[in-house]
This record gives sequence, C-alpha cells and structure tokens, in this order.
Amino acid sequence: MPVERIHAYLVHPKKGEDDKTQPAGTDVPLSGPMLNLMDAIYSKSENDCDIDITFRSTPDGKQQNDCRDLLLTYLAAPSLTTGHAIAKRLGETTDLRSALGLLFLIVGKEGRDHKVVISRFPTDNAIYVEEKPRTLTVQFLERVFMKNKHSYKAVLYRDASLRAGFWNGRAIDKQINTPTSPTSDYWITDFLLSEFTATAAQGTNRFAKALRAAVHSDVPVEVKEEITAAARLSSGLGGQRMSINQISARFNLSQPAQAAIMKGLKKPALANEMFSFDAAEFKTVVAFKSVELDNGATLTAESDRFDKVFHKEQIKDQTEYVTRGRVVNEKLKTKA
Amino acid sequence: MKSSRLKPETLEASYRKRHETVLKPLASALANHITDCFKGQSRIDRISARPKDVSSFLTKANKMGGRHRKYSEPLHQIQDQVGARIVTFYRSDVDCLDKIVGKYFRAIESKDHVPDSEWEFGYFGRHHILVIPSDVIDDDWDKALVPKFFELQIKTLFQHAWSEAEHDVGYKEGEKPLNLDQKRRLAFTSAQAWGADRVFDELFRELLAPASKSN
Repeated sequence: MPVERIHAYLVHPKKGEDDKTQPAGTDVPLSGPMLNLMDAIYSKSENDCDIDITFRSTPDGKQQNDCRDLLLTYLAAPSLTTGHAIAKRLGETTDLRSALGLLFLIVGKEGRDHKVVISRFPTDNAIYVEEKPRTLTVQFLERVFMKNKHSYKAVLYRDASLRAGFWNGRAIDKQINTPTSPTSDYWITDFLLSEFTATAAQGTNRFAKALRAAVHSDVPVEVKEEITAAARLSSGLGGQRMSINQISARFNLSQPAQAAIMKGLKKPALANEMFSFDAAEFKTVVAFKSVELDNGATLTAESDRFDKVFHKEQIKDQTEYVTRGRVVNEKLKTKA
Repeated sequence: MKSSRLKPETLEASYRKRHETVLKPLASALANHITDCFKGQSRIDRISARPKDVSSFLTKANKMGGRHRKYSEPLHQIQDQVGARIVTFYRSDVDCLDKIVGKYFRAIESKDHVPDSEWEFGYFGRHHILVIPSDVIDDDWDKALVPKFFELQIKTLFQHAWSEAEHDVGYKEGEKPLNLDQKRRLAFTSAQAWGADRVFDELFRELLAPASKSN
C-alpha cells in the first residue's frame, strides 16, 4: 500500500478577508471505503494530472516559493498541523465565488520517490434516496463533496529529494480554459504559485515549427491544405491555454494531418504539454503561406491573409488564383 | 531532516554513470536547442553547453558549508551538472538575450553575480537556473539520471575571457591558497575586463546602437 497518510480539511474561501481561524481538519483512517476512494485518486493521478507546472521563483529571481516551502514542510513531517498551513493557503487564495471545498492531502512513497496528491473536491447539493419495500424516502443534502468533472482540481508532486526537488508537478484544472470563470486562475497561479512548465513562446514555437515541417513533408496536397487552414485559424488562438493535441482536436484535423504534425515534433509527448498560445511568436515562425502550381507559378502571402489576397476558383482538376494590387517590389530568389 | 548522503565511492560511480549515459548527450542536445532559440540574434560570439566533469562535481559535492558539507544530496542539489554559456559582445546585449531566455525557458532562479563590495573586482556574469526543456530529454534515458535543471550563463567576451583564465590559474580547493599579491593581480585583470566592457558598451551605444535601431 503506497498511501501512508491522508489529511482532509474543510476549506472556506477567504480571499481578502481578515479571518485567522484555521480550517477544520482530520486524519483520514487508512481503511474502509474512504481509503479506497483516496487510493484510486492517488493512483490515477499519474494519468489524470496532465498539466506540467513549475513553481515560480520570487519576483527578484530568487530560488524560493512560499507554496513549495509549505509543501516541503508538510512532506518532511506529514501531520494535521503541517497540512493546515496548505489548507489555510488554499482558503486565502479562493474567493466567495469558488464556494466551500474539501481538501485532501494524500501522501505516499513510490520506490525512492516521495509522492503527494493534493485534491480539492467542490461542494454541491444532492438528493439522497432510500428505497424500502413499500416506501421511498427522499432527502435533500447540502455540503456534499463530489469529484465534479467541471471543477475538480488536483495536483501531483513526486520527487526523490525533499531538499532540492519538488519544483515541478502535474495538475488537473478543468476550468483552465474558461476565461469567464472567476476561478479559472486560482488553482495553478494563485494557490500553487506556479506556471506552466512550457512557456508561451516555447510551446507556440514548437507547434508552429511542427506545422511548418508537416506542410513541407511528403503528404498529399489535401492534407497540406488542411494544415495550412489550421495555421491560419491558429493565429486567432492568442492567450488560450491548450496542448498541441487539443488544438488538433479543436480544428477537427484528420488523422493524416495529425500524424504529419506529430512527425514534426521532436517527440510525441510534446503534443500533450499545455502552454498559453502566443500569437506573435506563432507569426514569427509561420509568417508566409506559399502555393506552388504545376505550371511553375508560386504564390506567396502572409499566411493569415493568403485567402484574402488570392481569390481561388476550382476549374475541373485545376485551380485558378486571381489577385490585384499595385506592384511595390520584385525579387529574384535562389532555388533553395 | 536526516542526511541521505551517499558514500564517496557510490556518489562517484553514480555521477560517472549519469555523466556518461545522460549528461554528455543532454549537453549536446541543449547546445543545439539553445542555438535554435537564439537564431538570428546579432553579436553572439558562441553558444556552448557541457556536462560538469566528474572531478569538478566531486570537488563541489565535498565543499564544506561551516562544520558540515554544503550538499547533503549532491546529485539532487547541484544544479549545474550541465552548464551552458552564451557569449556576446557588449553588456547591453546581455539584457536583450535575457529577455529571450525568459521567453523560451522556465527559470527557477535568475541573478547577477557580482563581487560583494563595490571596492572589489572578481567574477561578473548573469546566471539562470532553468528547467531542462522536455524537447531535449530522450525518452529512452533512465528518468532517475536526468537532472531537472541546468545553468545558463550569459557573459560578455571579456567576462568569458576572465572567468576562463581565472578558472585556470585561480585558487582550487585542496591547493595552496593564492597570496595577497596574486589575488590583487587577479582582481586587477577583472577590473581591466570590467573597464573594457564598459568602454566598449558605451562606444556601442554611441556608434552602433542608434544605427541598428533606425534600420
């Protein structure tokens, strides 16, 4: 049994309030159905937590992070008291719009690694129904905590060193791309004082280069058209937080197009890394779209304006492109 | 917290294995990756990355911090097992390159190394401790051998020249300490490098920077 300790805390949102009371907490016994549920969360976290995050340094660049410090103190001696500090921090970084939460700290060992899963269940209402041979009892329940698929949050940390490790973790945040939600940033940014491990430019650059490589690869023209259309649409993703796989799904890319993009990455796992899309960075890599015709013509324009400056018409198996403008420059280029 | 320090022979064997199987190819992949990130930047003299050699690692691992060893878990705590360096022409370039570091790498530490007092001359340079990007980690490597971070230094040509020569002739642990005159002469070369950097940067900003801005 890798789970060694479980602590639970009822966390009231207290952001901006001057309330010094400690969140109520308890030791969860390591037996019974509660343990089964916690053990399942602990084990599944390796797959469920898929957002790579890293603790932030201090604003002046020092290698220190308040949330990591609390985590390390807790892991060095897991107890209700050391866990309180983490629960208190969660309360202080959540406001009233996030409602009540039930926080679990699940600690274990995996070989040489120390592992902790921090999991927040949101509160909900429920109806309890008890069926007897001739009657049905219906009861309204408040303060029911459910692993709600829309607002459940968790984070997994696993490392061999309690001194130098635990800078990186993996999180779940189902509200990450709902900018209208007031809670969209509190889990990773405010509570965990962390950022995506991949920077916006790094993730976008990877994606843009993979698209470029895919378009230059030996795939059919229809697949290339699909990829260039995705490139054009991608320039509108600025600020959205997603992975390359999620972008491919958003644009309904065909299997061959997805495969071509994957081939353009240094390794497939990079397609799962979450990043915030940086439209300016994207444009620096995928600036121009070119179409070559079998009559020797090459048409080039800024990728997001190509379809506006070239009017395209299909005539049987041939394509006619029409454009009109004032000549401002002419260039001769080498073959490469 | 209980110390989990390995025995010296175990530490050496562990690091040697890490050095041969992971750090060497990792440094090479990092050098290419960094070069790619900085492509198109003017006035970069060179970009390099290298693994810390076994003896330097062991020397650092055995450093004392007061009465105890500074590192109780050297394999985890020493963060410059791979060190990368970007050497650029002028001090103004360091700030520009710093912004690019922030764009493409996740830092857990960024600082300017300067002597403690304004009356001293010695080591100068911008250092970052950065998360090793997953792009350069081979999935076939044993994850336990892959460090989480690497050190990136950004230096001017004069800072680079001074630190290389100082590394060669300066004090090394276990050797005879430098005498006062030797220390003063080393400080003198640092002051000269600092002055040359300053004058070149002033000339660059007066003569070249306005032109590159207007282009």
